[in-house]
Amino acid sequence: MAAPSAAGLGRRLRAWLPRIMPVRWSRYNPSYLEPEVKKESHQKPLEELTEEEREQMELKAVRPIKAAPPSLSSSVFSDPMISKFTNMMMKSGNKVLARSLMSQTLEAIKRKQLEKYHKAPENEKETIECNPYVIFHQALKNCQPIIGLSNITRGGKTYQVPVPLTDNRKRFLAMKWLITECRENKHRRTLMPEKLSQELLLAFNNEGPVIKRKHVLHKMAEANRAYAHFRWW
Amino acid sequence: MAAPAYPGWVTRWVSGQWRNKKRPPTLRPPRALALADKVANRREQSTEATCITEMSVMMACWKRNDFNDAPCAEEIRTFYDCVAKAEKERKNQNEDTLSSRGNLPSSKVNKLLKRFPQITRYV
Repeated sequence: MAAPSAAGLGRRLRAWLPRIMPVRWSRYNPSYLEPEVKKESHQKPLEELTEEEREQMELKAVRPIKAAPPSLSSSVFSDPMISKFTNMMMKSGNKVLARSLMSQTLEAIKRKQLEKYHKAPENEKETIECNPYVIFHQALKNCQPIIGLSNITRGGKTYQVPVPLTDNRKRFLAMKWLITECRENKHRRTLMPEKLSQELLLAFNNEGPVIKRKHVLHKMAEANRAYAHFRWW
Repeated sequence: MAAPAYPGWVTRWVSGQWRNKKRPPTLRPPRALALADKVANRREQSTEATCITEMSVMMACWKRNDFNDAPCAEEIRTFYDCVAKAEKERKNQNEDTLSSRGNLPSSKVNKLLKRFPQITRYV
């Protein structure tokens, strides 16, 4: 008796106080413009701008601009994919820890690759990739699934239907698989940078459990290809 | 003797009302004989799935090459192109124009009819 009335009260209260309850989307006035962070766009001389860029500049002179979030940086070292990965690794808002783990991971990758580089014979030295960012991006690209499965109910039965995925969803799945693989299927006492660097190097060479998981998904999609017509988009 | 009590239809028939066209109306419309301002809700036919041929080609390539992505790069590229094209198509189709089959869904027809209702009286 008390529980439904409390929930209903909460909902009614939230509807009555639309501006005071916390909401998840942004509450800027629509006239606010996005901040421009890249240094190159500000250093361009006036003559080189195209028509629309000139209009944009004039618009920025009259309209207010949103505050830049702390995760947005104009540094050459900032990479949106790495930031996203760090955020996904973060637990309970401990961004400091997540960022340090990420930098330790990249350092570990670099160390391993340098070791391999110095031990390799002369003719093979060019094939060894030492840039940890390149390895990270390539590993993520190799882990991204190409086709996914979604549950569609027809006539009371739920089928797994192969479905194309959006870019965001692919990136998210790749990162999620990497992180869960490192968190769950490794020895308890190994540290995260160690585990992650190992996984990333395996994924870079198209081996390892994450790539296997991607292949398992592809195989299931291939097995269910008869249901592909259940899609309506 | 009193006048014989014939049934009602006999008296009416004899009086010649039926032949004089004084008969009950042949049509008794339950509703007004005018177009309403809405159409019935029809279950809209769903569109077909897109990019199935490309997907099956890609899966055949996977089967041949043991699910490696490197030998199948061409098929994967065509599949991605098809998906991007279908997504753009879906975004671009304007809601107020006809769908690909040439029908307007009943909800949109009702909205239009509400904007331009049937005039029932002249003022």
